[in-house]
Amino acid sequence: MAITRRQFLKRSGAVTAGGLLGPGIFSNPLVRTALAETIGDRYFVVIYLDGGNDGLNTVTPVDNDMGTLRSDYMAARKPGPGEGGSNSGIRLSVADLAGTHIGVDPATGAQLALHPGFAGAGPGAGGFKAIYDAGDLAVIQGCGYPEPNLSHEVSSIIWETGDPLGIGGYGNTGWIGRYLADPATGYGALDIPAVNINSAIAGEYVQIGTSVLAISRLRDFGFPFDGDYEDDAAAKEQAFLALHAKSLASAQPTVALVGGAGTVTFNASESYPALHGLYTSSRPAFNQMYTALDTSMARDLREVAKVIYGVTTAQANIDARHFWVRNGGYDTHGDQGGATGQHFNLHNEVASAVKVFYDDLADMGVADKVCIMVWSEFSRRVIQNDNGTDHGSQAPVFLIGGKVNGGVYGNHPNIAAGALDDGNTVYKQGADPFRSTDIRDVYGNVLKHWFIMPHGVIISNVLKLDTGFDPNEYWTVEDFDFINGGQPLFLP
Amino acid sequence: MGDQNTPITAADARQVVRRCGFGIPVKESKKYTVDALTGLTRGAVADLFLSFRPKGFQPKGKDFFASHNKWLKFMLKAKKGYALQEKLVLFFHDHFATNYTTLANQMGQADALVMMGQQNRFFRKNCTGNFKTLVKSINTNPAMMNFLDTVLNLKNQPNENYGRELMELFTLGVRDLNGKVNYLQEDIVQIARAFTGWQHDIKANTGHLHPEAHDTTAAFPERGPKVIFGVAHPEIVPPAPPHNVGGFASPQSFIVGGEAENEIDEVTEILFQHTDTDGENTIARHLTFKLLEYFCYANPTKAVVDQIIAASGFVGSWEMKPLLRAIFVHDVFYETAAPAPYGALTKKSVRWPVDYVLGTLRSLGMKPKGTALQLQGGDFNYLYDLLADMGQTVMEPVSVFGWDWEESWISGVALLARYEFVRDLVTSRFSEAFRPERLIDLDLTDPGDIVDAVVAQLGLSDPLGTNSQLTADQRQDLIDYLTDNGANPTLDLQDYDTRNRKLHGLYGLLLQSPAAVLH
Repeated sequence: MAITRRQFLKRSGAVTAGGLLGPGIFSNPLVRTALAETIGDRYFVVIYLDGGNDGLNTVTPVDNDMGTLRSDYMAARKPGPGEGGSNSGIRLSVADLAGTHIGVDPATGAQLALHPGFAGAGPGAGGFKAIYDAGDLAVIQGCGYPEPNLSHEVSSIIWETGDPLGIGGYGNTGWIGRYLADPATGYGALDIPAVNINSAIAGEYVQIGTSVLAISRLRDFGFPFDGDYEDDAAAKEQAFLALHAKSLASAQPTVALVGGAGTVTFNASESYPALHGLYTSSRPAFNQMYTALDTSMARDLREVAKVIYGVTTAQANIDARHFWVRNGGYDTHGDQGGATGQHFNLHNEVASAVKVFYDDLADMGVADKVCIMVWSEFSRRVIQNDNGTDHGSQAPVFLIGGKVNGGVYGNHPNIAAGALDDGNTVYKQGADPFRSTDIRDVYGNVLKHWFIMPHGVIISNVLKLDTGFDPNEYWTVEDFDFINGGQPLFLP
Repeated sequence: MGDQNTPITAADARQVVRRCGFGIPVKESKKYTVDALTGLTRGAVADLFLSFRPKGFQPKGKDFFASHNKWLKFMLKAKKGYALQEKLVLFFHDHFATNYTTLANQMGQADALVMMGQQNRFFRKNCTGNFKTLVKSINTNPAMMNFLDTVLNLKNQPNENYGRELMELFTLGVRDLNGKVNYLQEDIVQIARAFTGWQHDIKANTGHLHPEAHDTTAAFPERGPKVIFGVAHPEIVPPAPPHNVGGFASPQSFIVGGEAENEIDEVTEILFQHTDTDGENTIARHLTFKLLEYFCYANPTKAVVDQIIAASGFVGSWEMKPLLRAIFVHDVFYETAAPAPYGALTKKSVRWPVDYVLGTLRSLGMKPKGTALQLQGGDFNYLYDLLADMGQTVMEPVSVFGWDWEESWISGVALLARYEFVRDLVTSRFSEAFRPERLIDLDLTDPGDIVDAVVAQLGLSDPLGTNSQLTADQRQDLIDYLTDNGANPTLDLQDYDTRNRKLHGLYGLLLQSPAAVLH
C-alpha cells in the first residue's frame, strides 16, 4: 500500500471519536481530581513548525572548542551581507549570534547559540532566549530516527506516529493519541482531552477511543441553531443527535467517524464558545499583547490560553489538557535569509508568541503545570544551495515549561563534510560520540516523567523498540530517564 | 456484477449525476437528467458524460477573490458534461497543487493571478487528454516552476524541490501498492540536475532553458553523467521482515542522455516506464488509485485498480478518457461504498467542501447573489468564507500535497461550517429563497413518503440498506421528527407554517446528516 498522508489519514478508524460509547472515567469530577493530585493536572502543548525547519540555523555553533563544528558550519554555508557576502548567503556570523548564546554542545564543548530570531520582539521581547535564561527551556539536539526520510509527508507522519519503521502495528495512530486512548489513561469516546487549533486533527492525536476537537476560533464554535420556530428546536436537536448516534454505531469506519464527530461537535459547541468572552473580559492585558503581535501563531496560542484559563477556573465540561498549534513556511528551498529575512521572521514569530503565551500561563499560575514541545519534520541540508536549503535529517527539539530542566541535551549532529550522507547528517545510536537523539526517547521521557505513564506500558503500548536491528543504527535500547546520559529533562 | 452493457436504474442515475458533477441540479440539460439517463447502459452514460469538448474558460479577475469567485460560479452553472469537466479540473488542481498566496509573495499579485488563471485553463483544456502530455507541460508551467522552485534551481547547487515532488506527488508516489519505495534520494538529486537552468516566461505561459545555468558534464566532470534508477541499492533490500522499506524488484537503469532542453522530457519518459515490485506500471497504478478514491471510495483494492487499467489500455496510451470510462462503467462506481464485507480500511469518501456546497445549492435550485457570491441573509455568508471554514479555498490548496482528503474534512470546526451553511440555506428565517414546493410534491401527507421524496430529490441514498448513506432506522428518526414522535401522524405541506417548520427542518437535518456529508 502506498503510504501517503491522505491514506494515513484515512486509515484511522475514527479521528475525532472512537468506538467506545459513553463517557469515560474522566467525565467523573472525582476521578479528575484524583488524577490531578497524582500527576499535577498537567498540560501539553505541541507546536509544529511545518516544512522542515533548518536546525543548523536554529541552534548554531559559535566556536569549535574541542571539535570542528564552527569550521564545518563556515564551510557549508555562504557568508551573508554581515560578513561581506550577498543576500544569498545564509551563514550566521559570530556577531549575529552574540546576543543569543545558550549552553555548550555536550560532546565537543562548542558554544551554541539560538538563531537571533528567537530573541523575540514586541510584547514577546526576550523570546526563547529569555525563557532559556530563566532555566525553563531545554534544547534537545540531533533528534531523528533511523533511515531518515526526506519527504515532508513521510517524515512528518513518522514524527507524528512515532513509528519510523512501521513495525509497531499502530496504523496511523499518533503517539499522543495512543497515550490518550490507552485504557490506563482513562478517557472515553465522548470525552474531549485534546484540542487542536486547526481545521483538522493533527497526526500526533489520531486514535480510536476518545475525542479530539479541531477548533479555529472558540468564539465561532457555537452550534448553528435555527433562530426561527424555536418550538421545533428540541425536535430538531433530538433528530440530529439520533441520526448521528446511529451513524456512530455503523460498521463503516467513515460513517462511524462522522457520527461521532457530529455528536462531539454538538456537545462541545455547548461549552467552548463561552471561554472566549471569559478570557477577554478576565485577562485584557494579555489579550492585548497577543493582539499587538498580530501573527497567526499569537492568535492560535491565545485560543489555547483561553481553554487553559477555562480549565483553571473550573468551567463546566472543559477538560482539555492537550493542545496542538502549527506554524508554516519552513520549507526554505529559496531565499531563506540568514540573520534577517524569511527564516528570521519565522523564528521571530514563534518566539515572540510563545513568550507572551508562557508569561500568560505563568500569570495564571500554571507555568509549572505546562510543557510545550516545538518540533519540525526534519532539518535541512548542511550545505546550502544557491540561496536556501534542501531537505535534511536530524533537528533540534525544544521543550519549555516551569518544570522543564533547562539546558542543552543530546549531541549536535556531525556536520563535517566527510561525515555526511548525501549532504545530510547521519543517524547514530550506540557508543558513537555523535550519537543522535531518537525521537522516541524524547516522547518516552515526556510520557514517563510528565504524564507519569508506567515505563512498561509505554514500551508495550505506545513506543516500540527496533528490536533485532543493528544497535548502532537503530533504536534498540530505550533511554526514558536521561537523554544521552544528560540530566533528567523534568524537575520533580 | 455489471459492465458497460448493464442498464442503469434511477438510483444508479442519481449516483452518476452526483459523482460526475456537483449534486443533482434542478436545472439540467434534458439528456442529462435522472429520468433521461435511467435505462441507458453504463457505457452509454459514460460516453455521454465524457463527450464534452473542453472549454477555454479561464478564471481571472482583478484580485484573488474575483478569480476565486469566477471559478466557483463557473462550476455552479456547469451543465451536461461540463460539471464533470470542472470536477476533473479540481482533481488536477489538487494533484498538481500550486497556491496563489505563495506565488503572490514571490511574484506579486498581478503575475500570480495570471499564472493561476493560465494553469486553471490548462487543466480544463487537458483534463480528458493525455496524462504524459499533462506532466510534460506541468514541468514548464510558470505557476509550478515558481511554486516548487524550478526557477531557483541552478547548476552550482541544484535545488531538489521539484525533482522530489515530480516523483512523489505527480507520477510515482513514494511507495508502490505493496509499500515498497519507488525511488531513492540519489534519483531526486539526478532529476534536480536535469531541471537546472529553467526559467519561466509568464506571458508565453511556458519555460525555457538558460544553458549557462544548466548542469553539464563539461562543467562538472566530477558529477558524471546524469543517471536515474541506475544506482545499486543494496541498503534497501529489506534487512529483516516485517519492515517498511522495500526495494526495486530488479534494478532499473536509465541514462538521461543529451545535455539540453530535451533532458526534462527524457526524465518524464523514463518515469512513465517505471514499474513497481509487481512489475506493473507505477504511474498507471498511482493515478488510477487516486482517481478511484476521488470518484468512488477510499482505499480500493489492487485488483480493482488493475482491472481498470487493463480495461482502459492506459499503459502506453496514457489517455485519460478511456481510463475515466473504465472507472465509470465499473461496479465500484455504482456502489454507494465499498461492497460488504469491506475491510476496516475501505470506506466511503467524504465529500469535498466545494462539492458539498455547490452540490447542495444546485440540488436546491438556489444561487448566491452577485459577483461576491453571497447567500441571502446572515452577515458572513459569502461562499468564500463558508468554504474557507470548511477547509477548502480553491486556488489555495493547503500544501504541496493539495488538500488532505477524507477525515481531515471532518473535524469540529469544519463540520460546524457545514451545519451553518445548511441552516442559513434552508431553515433560518433568511431562507425565503428556498422553495421546496418546486422540488417535491406538496400533496404528500404520509411522513414516510415525504422523507423518501426528499431523500430521492437530494440523491442521497437508495436502497436503504446497511451499506447505504441512510439506514432504515435513521429514516424512522426523520419520521419521528416530522410527526413529533407520532403526535401528528400526517402532515399538510400545503400549510405555510407546517411547510416552513417541518419540511424546511427535514431538508436541514438531511443535509447536515452523515448521509449528505459522505459521497
